[in-house]
Amino acid sequence: MSLNRMFLFSKYARLLTPRVVQAGNEVTPYLQSERFFRTSTRNLAYAKDLFLGKVNKEEAFPYPEVSNEELEEINQFVSPVEKFFNEDVDSKRIDHEAKIPPETLNGLKELGLFGIQIPEEYGGLGLSNTMYARLGEIISLDGSIAVTLAAHQAIGLKGILIAGNEEQKAKYLPKLSTGEYVAAFCLTEHGSGSDAASIQTRATLTEDGKHYLINGSKIWISNGGLADIFTVFARTDVVDKDGQKKDKISAFIVEREFGGVFSGKPEDKLGIRGSNTCEVVFDNTKVPVENVIGEVGGGFKIAMNILNSGRFSMGSAGAGMIKKLIELTAEYAGTRKQFNKSLSEFGMVQEKFAVMAQNAFVMESMAYLTAGMMDRPGVPDCSLEAAMVKVFSSEGGWVCVSEALQVLGGLGYTKNFPYERYLRDCRILLIFEGTNEILRMYIALTGMQYAGKILTGKIKEMKKGNVGVVMQKLGKMLRDSFGMEVDLGLTGKDGVVHPSLADSAKKLETNVNLFGSTVESLLYRYGKTIVDEQLILKRVADVLINLYAMTAVLSRASRSISIGLRNHSHEVLLANTFCSEVFFKNNYMMTQLQKNSPENNDDSIKKIAKEVLAQRAYICSHPLERTF
Amino acid sequence: MHSKNQIQEMHAALRWEMNLAKVSVEKVGSLRNIHSSSTLLKNEPFATDYGEKSEHKGEGDKSLVTHDDLFERVAQESRTKATFSRVLDVFVRQDIRRRGHVEFIYAALKKMPEFGVERDLAVYNKVLDIFPKEVFVPRNFIQRMFNHYPRQQECGVQVLEQMENYGLTPNVETKVLLVQIFGEKSHPMRKFQRLMYWFPRFKDMNPFPIPHQLPQDPLDLARFSLSRIANDLDAKVTVHQMPFTDISETGEEVSQPYVVGIQSPDQCHLLAKHNTSRPLFVEGPFALWLRQTCVHYYVLRADPLPPEEKVKEPVDPERCFFYPLELDLDLELDRDLGDDDSFNVDEVEEGPVFAMCMAGQGDQATLAKWISGLQETNPILGRTATVFRLESGPRELQSTAEPEPDLQPHHHL
Repeated sequence: MSLNRMFLFSKYARLLTPRVVQAGNEVTPYLQSERFFRTSTRNLAYAKDLFLGKVNKEEAFPYPEVSNEELEEINQFVSPVEKFFNEDVDSKRIDHEAKIPPETLNGLKELGLFGIQIPEEYGGLGLSNTMYARLGEIISLDGSIAVTLAAHQAIGLKGILIAGNEEQKAKYLPKLSTGEYVAAFCLTEHGSGSDAASIQTRATLTEDGKHYLINGSKIWISNGGLADIFTVFARTDVVDKDGQKKDKISAFIVEREFGGVFSGKPEDKLGIRGSNTCEVVFDNTKVPVENVIGEVGGGFKIAMNILNSGRFSMGSAGAGMIKKLIELTAEYAGTRKQFNKSLSEFGMVQEKFAVMAQNAFVMESMAYLTAGMMDRPGVPDCSLEAAMVKVFSSEGGWVCVSEALQVLGGLGYTKNFPYERYLRDCRILLIFEGTNEILRMYIALTGMQYAGKILTGKIKEMKKGNVGVVMQKLGKMLRDSFGMEVDLGLTGKDGVVHPSLADSAKKLETNVNLFGSTVESLLYRYGKTIVDEQLILKRVADVLINLYAMTAVLSRASRSISIGLRNHSHEVLLANTFCSEVFFKNNYMMTQLQKNSPENNDDSIKKIAKEVLAQRAYICSHPLERTF
Repeated sequence: MHSKNQIQEMHAALRWEMNLAKVSVEKVGSLRNIHSSSTLLKNEPFATDYGEKSEHKGEGDKSLVTHDDLFERVAQESRTKATFSRVLDVFVRQDIRRRGHVEFIYAALKKMPEFGVERDLAVYNKVLDIFPKEVFVPRNFIQRMFNHYPRQQECGVQVLEQMENYGLTPNVETKVLLVQIFGEKSHPMRKFQRLMYWFPRFKDMNPFPIPHQLPQDPLDLARFSLSRIANDLDAKVTVHQMPFTDISETGEEVSQPYVVGIQSPDQCHLLAKHNTSRPLFVEGPFALWLRQTCVHYYVLRADPLPPEEKVKEPVDPERCFFYPLELDLDLELDRDLGDDDSFNVDEVEEGPVFAMCMAGQGDQATLAKWISGLQETNPILGRTATVFRLESGPRELQSTAEPEPDLQPHHHL
């Protein structure tokens, strides 16, 4: 270890030399970075600080709470919605007919669920993120409805909400919040998923300069067949500061009324069959210039902001679904008897329930911690946390639904029970709103960028002869090399974690400390080329997700035990189990990230894939094959 | 009667036999006789190989001729597997002692390619079957120690050797025959074991196997060859011109050579970005060997980009909706030396190849048809000068007479 350290240190020296020459142009790249690094405006930086091996305990502890009045308000909203979903929503029928009946949609509209987060002045419910998450738990009981509502308000009308001007808001939001208008988000095209460069839809200014003509087609548009208002992203010619003509993406509000909007046949999907997904074609659709969202040419940022803010509610949605599944399957496991024993007495069945409970607990903790962070005053950017919640809960949800189905065995596989529908529905969570692979890249690279900035900053300080920074660095190296116990202040005198969770808190601290040094060494080893090391970034993202999950459960369980919530000892049990489980996983992953680690199979994995992909087939000979 | 050569050959064989007889002690010969069939014993109470040969000199002579003769006679009818087998059968039936079988086998081996059975395992087994069984199997340690029946063993090895040369893997039947003829630890058996060790391992070693039977149709052959050179699963083969022969009104034969081209989407994309002020070159012919067949192909290429045109496109920060495609760090952080696994290879820069083709004729007029065919999918070809740099290479190898390709570069617009 210490040898490795010395090696790193020698790299400082290597880095220092070339910098002296080009010390003159330091300002420019820094300014540019603002554009690259969009989350640098945030004041909250819990997840990012983990990359530096720091725990910013003020941000995650104590667990966010709502006031009594708010709680009452939430419950007021929740009970009618719950009643509606239990009594008036026939999920089986929606799935079978691949359509949400109009009366169900009307019911949702009457409950105000089409405008959950639209401010009250525009006729919406104006709920906070926490309340939205709470409602999300219930809405998620039907995948089709959840996706329809999310496509409408989490992304469809979000553009108007976050970047629209007063007139646009006043014109559209009232009708959108009542559900009179349904919104859809039109970004994806043939050949363009995450790649903005391949967007082909074009908006051309008419000669009088008052309208844009939009031409192009968008695919996989949720609500594409129902929607009256579309947020459309299209290329426009923009003259930038240097007077050069450039092709940039702009966002438009397009009404179906404008004409030239055609929806294709709804896609026949695996799950969320009741939601409407189809192609939308714009053929010379005339859009007035007032309907440009934000600036002309500023569409890229808007799209990114919408996508980043749209995905946080998925955590609570997953948790809501699993909680429901636990109830359903526990009933079965308790009553079904085999060999004069009920299923619930078998260890392997018990394990499944433990997994489900733990996952629900962690998802819930993460989702509400993130929602609480987002609800703080100011405009905190929690996109990193939201992405982590999405990845964790979509994958956990998939595992849990599959386990629940397994408890019922063959019965779970039939259409007589809802498990197969849940299984199909929840598969989409891993795919949409940014696939989990892409989000892992986002999670890891955002952190790497942040850590890289600070670390290079430190190097500059050292170069200037700042003794303090050098000593700090040396001190940390010494501490690590003597293997001293890490203390990041979660426990002890100013501790924020309850003593019954102290062991788990120590595990988190140890992990965080190691994570900090791992990130540092990765940056030294790979530098800017880290963006191409996807397998490494995947592990970095996974460790970070685990660390955030540990934080969330520790924070939540500490609060519960401290204020004496019902069944808090169960929470402590879940939190401790989860932390110790994940602690070892993290250690393993970080060992894999070390140089020349025998646990790391990446090279072989890449080679296997390369050989398979070169032939585009499974290339092994059949086992029955002979050569003589 | 016989040519002088044949007689000399015979004498040489006899001398060789005599030497062997000296080395391997007379006893060996007698031992064989003791163990062989009773008829043999009666007829030849005490005969070395040399004696046997001299006694039946006339007959042996005759058989030497008949071996070749037998094949020649049959060959007049037809040279097929069936006739070849018939010759073998005739020999086997002729004489229960299989006299002169070694010579016959050598003759048979020599004739196999003529009859087109040189890759037929069943025929080889049949050839081996000519050896008398059990006679040459050593029966005690002394025989086993010395080279027992060296001539026959040598001949057995030769049969296997020829199989090896034609890349034929022996089968179980071969093994059974060899055991019956020479015994478990004989030289042919060792040869067999070595073959069986290596051949299966080598059989599928080539990642780009060529079938033994190449396509007969020149179009299919061109398709196969082009896909083989391109080695790109996305590459698309286009037949720009079908071969065509007709008699014109004046009675002259008008023929149109085939033109088959291949281009991948990547090449198409690359060509679209080509700087139109720089010429493109049609070069060739280049040879491609497919086993015994040689075919020729032509490429459309450009010169390597001059360094001033090689600009790395900066990463557009507004490219990816989800994550940064590039880290923005103040210091130039490169990959650490210890983690840089790339090899330092001196690379000779070559110009990009945009498409390849094969044609029935290598003249400029034919290849111009290829270029105009390509132009349908690559409109840039209409705006770029194309220079034909053709060599007169393939004329001596291709049977079809070709018009003299022009060595002077021509501009084709």
